[in-house]
Amino acid sequence: MDQRAILDHQFTVAAYAVTWAIQLGYLLWLGLKWRAQKRETSRTARGPR
Amino acid sequence: MKKLGLGFYIALTAALLAWGFYQAIYVAPDEQTMHEVQRIFYYHVPSAMTAFLFFAISLAGSIGFLVLRRNRPEQAQVADAWAVAGAEVGVVFCTVVLITGPLWGHRVWWGGGDWGNGSWWTWDARLTTTLVLWLLYVSYLLLRRFAAGAQMQTLAAVLGVFAALDVPIVYMSTRWWRTQHPAPVFGGGPDSGIKDPAMLHAFGWNIAAWLAWGLLILALRYRLERQHQQLIARQAQAALDEI
Repeated sequence: MDQRAILDHQFTVAAYAVTWAIQLGYLLWLGLKWRAQKRETSRTARGPR
Repeated sequence: MKKLGLGFYIALTAALLAWGFYQAIYVAPDEQTMHEVQRIFYYHVPSAMTAFLFFAISLAGSIGFLVLRRNRPEQAQVADAWAVAGAEVGVVFCTVVLITGPLWGHRVWWGGGDWGNGSWWTWDARLTTTLVLWLLYVSYLLLRRFAAGAQMQTLAAVLGVFAALDVPIVYMSTRWWRTQHPAPVFGGGPDSGIKDPAMLHAFGWNIAAWLAWGLLILALRYRLERQHQQLIARQAQAALDEI
């Protein structure tokens, strides 16, 4: 494998990895937000202490 | 039944993403001049198309909110939830576009520069208008995050409408100006289009896959926003009851 092919491969892997990292990171953030909001909802439903 | 439908949709999306990846990496042939790095195309272009679709949903939601806010407040809240969900998921896809594009361009445009040499960015019309689009929607999201008060949703909706005006400019930029960015894949002149069927299939599968994924996270984000609106309404009611 020549140097050019190795670099092409590295850049392609980087682009695919970044895409997945962004998408899965966003999904994780949505999940965390969902959980926090669920807690807040149940706290509001119980009313002030 | 609803859970079963959701489970089926998630399984279908996962299968599409896996199949799209397989098609892009193992089935589609190397492009003759750019070789392996051209495979970034199969993630870059579908992400851009999906971002455009979600910004259009955000625009429809913003217009809906502005039209309905006085006479049908409950439906206006639904429209607003679509507006924020479309904008946020659109920004996620646009971020992918703005990172994968320079990774591809760095190899192809600057004579095969390695990680340390060559430029990562050029103030080309397509790149610049896309960056402006991203900044507009990020400012929309920041406005929603940090502004408070009754006018916040209205201000955000107006900004959402203006931000969407950049979408056709981004789309037309490679037609209106001479750009370093390649001509559009489809409708970009007599030589445009994908000639190799295997490349076309890989492209099509990845459009389907990323669209399915995008719709899934859009629906999640919409649901989250509706729950947030209901929570705020409940808290406001509780505060009124205490008086």
